[in-house]
Amino acid sequence: MIPALLGWRSRIAPLAVLVMLGGTMTAAGAHADEAGERIYRLGLLPSGEPLRAEREAGMGVEGAVAACVNCHRRSGLGMKEGRRTIPPIAGRYLFHPRAAAADELDLPYVEGMRADREPYTDETLARAIRTGIDADGRPLSYLMPHFQLDDAQMSSLIAYLRRLAPAEVPGVTPSALHFATIITPEADPAVAKGVIEVLEKFFDDKNHYTRAESPRLHSSRRMMFKVNRRWALNVWQLTGAPETWEAQLRAKLAATPVFAVISGVGGHSWAPVHHFCEAAELPCLFPNVDLPVDRESDFDTLYLSKGVLLEAQLLAQAIRDRQRAVPVSRVVQIFRAGDVGVEAAAALDKELHQSGLRVVNRSLGARATQSELRERVGQTGPGELLVLWLRAPDLAALALVPPHDVAAYMSGRMGGLEHAPLPAAWRAATHMSYPFNLPDRRRVQMDYPLGWFRMRQIPIVAEQAQTDTYLVCAIVSETINHMVDTFVRDYLVERVEEMLEHRLVTGYYPRLALAPGQRFASKGGYIVHFTDSAGTRVSAEGDWTVPLESASEK
Amino acid sequence: MTCRAYCYVTVLMTFGLATQAATQPTISTVNYAVPAISLVRQDGGRVSLAREMDDGRPVVLNFIFTSCSSICPLMSQVFADFQRQLGTDSARVHLMSISTDPEQDSPARLRAYAKQFGARAGWNQYTGTLAQSQSAQRAFDVYRGDKMSHAPVTLMRIAPSQPWLRIDGFASPAELLRQYRLLLATE
Repeated sequence: MIPALLGWRSRIAPLAVLVMLGGTMTAAGAHADEAGERIYRLGLLPSGEPLRAEREAGMGVEGAVAACVNCHRRSGLGMKEGRRTIPPIAGRYLFHPRAAAADELDLPYVEGMRADREPYTDETLARAIRTGIDADGRPLSYLMPHFQLDDAQMSSLIAYLRRLAPAEVPGVTPSALHFATIITPEADPAVAKGVIEVLEKFFDDKNHYTRAESPRLHSSRRMMFKVNRRWALNVWQLTGAPETWEAQLRAKLAATPVFAVISGVGGHSWAPVHHFCEAAELPCLFPNVDLPVDRESDFDTLYLSKGVLLEAQLLAQAIRDRQRAVPVSRVVQIFRAGDVGVEAAAALDKELHQSGLRVVNRSLGARATQSELRERVGQTGPGELLVLWLRAPDLAALALVPPHDVAAYMSGRMGGLEHAPLPAAWRAATHMSYPFNLPDRRRVQMDYPLGWFRMRQIPIVAEQAQTDTYLVCAIVSETINHMVDTFVRDYLVERVEEMLEHRLVTGYYPRLALAPGQRFASKGGYIVHFTDSAGTRVSAEGDWTVPLESASEK
Repeated sequence: MTCRAYCYVTVLMTFGLATQAATQPTISTVNYAVPAISLVRQDGGRVSLAREMDDGRPVVLNFIFTSCSSICPLMSQVFADFQRQLGTDSARVHLMSISTDPEQDSPARLRAYAKQFGARAGWNQYTGTLAQSQSAQRAFDVYRGDKMSHAPVTLMRIAPSQPWLRIDGFASPAELLRQYRLLLATE
């Protein structure tokens, strides 16, 4: 990567042309000056001491809060917060020669970039970082702190800035934008097929529009906008045990570099895929998984929701509320080994344990028969509370009548939401976590995706997963339009974080929103029960609720 | 905005001559109707906004969210420094920060955030539902459609019967202190 230092400043052509084939997976962090990176991302000096700075009016700031990454972002391309623009500081945007207008530069467009400024030198850049005076001698914004860095620390930071935002972007060529979608062997094959069909149709549409409708646009000078690129979809079907997936993914990425991973379908384990994307610094946008990895310090994977972990929080809150009104002798959780109910039950156990409730976990073998299931459920006594982390076939096999004087709670996501095949006698008595917008409230929201599926003759086999997939395609497409050919992987994630809240079509969710550091776009849900003894009508037992505390924060 | 009907606005520019680039804040005096909503305080308590504001102390109010990386940290730092500069008076002024991202900002997150800035007793943070937060933002005319579009606004009121002093733009801790003392003197 060191030679790239020169590459930055070379004036070969717009990034669009530069970005051929980047064989090597960048992992900018792996190559960059580590001391500079620690200052930039963590606000830590090589000694382990916190980075210190002074703000306007003598206010001190230090450590993580002072780190450059907060405002200038991991990409170094800055950000837009409302009407405020934080300028890009990736080296190319600092050291370029003065130009009358942005389109005279060989730089991909980024909001807040300044063309008509003296190129920074190491000296003027150090002055800007220490005293807030730019290359033209003018003061920077009051938001920019004045950093206390000695010469060695300064030069490692500047070296890092020079290396930020690599010119080579794997998966982006002048004619194509490569994406992958990841299907694990645990994925339900019918769901996977439905999801892939949505992706393929969306990519088809995208490519038709690109070819037929949109002429190549470029400015009168050198900078090009909206170069037509075909969207190419690679389906990465994994095989074998989860321990082998990361190696498989590394091989697939090396063979076919992609710009980002989009959607995808998992089963019980998604963590290996999550860790792979994190290690490869490869955006993984909104996979269809019931059990995401709950680590907000990670960057590359964004999820639409916390899945069953969110349901555990919703159920914990509902059960705590019930406990205040009715004595609960103990909580009995039923789940199958090898499914996401294991982790969901553990999360709920932890939440309820903190509230002083006794919890018993009854795990069923992955192959246990349905009479064994009925037996476990039947062992529940009066005053107890039953939590079912079960899929539809198990729900359908429950005894016709629930145990006497036992309140039942269940995961809507696992059980099939309003289509959950609960026996009639269970329906009114079972409280279901419903981490989506209610069916009658999302009807208008759903008109667009459902119409889109109908017109393209896409069979609906998994409405929620397919709608989520459609939504993700639309989000990525919109975001990439806004990126105007500035293909930087981190920047894709950052722009999604910033823009998501503006979406009006949000499918199954009442609202989607992210921000720097947020990894789950929809954050709440309902508790519902069936309204009638048959059919799909459900009644909410309260308002949309965002669980106040989560175990992960403690 | 609801408040506008009975707003009288006196706009005067301050010439705080804070060292450099910060654009000078615009100061106005406005009457706002405090909406009848409940919020959740950082300690988990469910509280009435009006009662929190009418606890007898002067109130200094801002709107922040904990994932905000540019302007909120600065505003929170101003609150922290203002509180320190108040010295022994700090417990007699009620600093309030209402989250504009309540679905993310749980009480636990607010507590961690406040701790990061060294908040002392007397500075409370509030969350709630999205509707409650938006209602508070609208009432004080700071709602801009989404959390990313917020602008720095600080509001100050010396007593429940008094109008609000509204500071649009960056106000340094010293400037806040000056405005607070002016209000206190004119009361």
